Amino acid sequence: MPSKGDGHSAITSSDQELVLASLEPDQLAGVKKPLIPRRHLSGLEKFIMWSLRIYLLFMMVVVVYQVWAGLH
Amino acid sequence: MGAGPPSKRTSSAVSQENVVITHEDVDRAHDRVRVSAARAQRGAFSKLRLMWLLVGPGILVMLGENDGPSMISYAATGARFGIGFFIPFVILTFCMAVVVQEMTVRLGSATHRGHAELIFDRFGPFWGWFSMIDLGIGNFLTLITEFIAIRAGLGFFGVPPWAAVGSALVFLWLAVRMHRYWTWERTLLAIALFNLVFVPVALLTHPNWHSVGHALITWKPLPGGLTQDTLIILLADIGATVTPWMLFFQQSATVDKGLTRKDIHLGRFDTIIGAALAAIAAVATILATAPLFAQHMTAENFQGAEFAQALQPLIGRFGAALFALGIVEAGMVASVTISISSAYAFGEVARRPHSLNLPVAQGKSFYSVLFLCAATAGAIVLIPGLPLVYVVLLVNVVAVLAMPPALVFLFILANDREIMSDLVSPRWTNILAASVVVFLTLAGLLFGVSVIAPHFFAFLGGK
Repeated sequence: MPSKGDGHSAITSSDQELVLASLEPDQLAGVKKPLIPRRHLSGLEKFIMWSLRIYLLFMMVVVVYQVWAGLH
Repeated sequence: MGAGPPSKRTSSAVSQENVVITHEDVDRAHDRVRVSAARAQRGAFSKLRLMWLLVGPGILVMLGENDGPSMISYAATGARFGIGFFIPFVILTFCMAVVVQEMTVRLGSATHRGHAELIFDRFGPFWGWFSMIDLGIGNFLTLITEFIAIRAGLGFFGVPPWAAVGSALVFLWLAVRMHRYWTWERTLLAIALFNLVFVPVALLTHPNWHSVGHALITWKPLPGGLTQDTLIILLADIGATVTPWMLFFQQSATVDKGLTRKDIHLGRFDTIIGAALAAIAAVATILATAPLFAQHMTAENFQGAEFAQALQPLIGRFGAALFALGIVEAGMVASVTISISSAYAFGEVARRPHSLNLPVAQGKSFYSVLFLCAATAGAIVLIPGLPLVYVVLLVNVVAVLAMPPALVFLFILANDREIMSDLVSPRWTNILAASVVVFLTLAGLLFGVSVIAPHFFAFLGGK
């Protein structure tokens, strides 16, 4: 398994060729900056996400109460 | 997986046709060359080699989730309820874990993006931050319990708490200092396989295999009916197999490893193997502590490795020591994977470099987040008088409660044709995944009812 040691060695032209030949274009660390476009959420999706968000918040209150009750 | 200005990412980055190439890319390319070479060859050996090269994230995530609190939950399960209901139940929860985690393999391989990054991109920062807060709180609480397990396990050998926490932090630092995803993954895999130490411990208790087989086939009802206590154990066992950090970790590790669409079938295999190994260890832990149930001993006062002390008269000092070491290993491996899951998510959201292929100098924020989370959690464990088993069980319950919202993000992403194209979830996966969401939500609601209206279960016939 090749090792890069301290990681500060120069990247050679053969490294470049290897990377460009072996990795898919969007696997390169440097090309991931562009955002994937935002998804349009349907009414049903928003309803489910909000419902589960409220469910989680409510259940966290229940857990806190459970801890409080356990300690007293 | 890195981002940010190229000049800051690496001093030796080079540019060709507007493409910035980093050391991270070079390391990943070397790994992919070996995968391509193995795939190009024919024969059984080449197939085995390909499998060897591609497995990792699935086994790690499943054995990583067999963490300190999980093993303590399984131990509490065996000691309090025996094997009748819980052995088949635990196997069912691992089947659920496979259904859920398989989606992360597809997402990571198809998009080459981590889970947090995809949620922020596709759902926007509003939902993204909700998801990150869930993950951050869940991971931090779970990390605390990992250190509880390490402290308790090493406590069996007389190691003082401060030394136990310190050694865990040193282990974490050494594990990530490899600066190479492949080396890190293989090393941690070897250590994670020690999770199977619970199998010899179970064998030392001389389980009645006829009863085990009978339990698997008949799936007896919950002993003592449905009460608040049994419900907490039930939820803790679910939380021991499916938790939000697993989604973030496996998808990010799949990306860091460099898996592509061609590798998905072996990614699935990796996940199934991991689940099978983890289920064996989980069932073994229940079997190991089941004699405490048979002897009508209560587990209420057993804290972590005190299970080992309770088992000592039955399995001897050697067996008890193995049990305690198993708890330590579970906590150590999970403290690494969970810290890395937090660091991956932070890097993806902050668009900072985030890869285990990064040297420290180029991944300062990645390694800082990773180590700071762990160090803070470790410090909290040193607070005297913490009710250890209670905290551990409750953290698993919180993990179950946080799972349905996390699963909905995963479900929508895995069915998002714009990013997945032909890799969207098939109908049967959607039905199974929806069933998991409904099951977890109902289990959570049942817990809520048991807390708010404890007499409800008595009305239904429980105690």
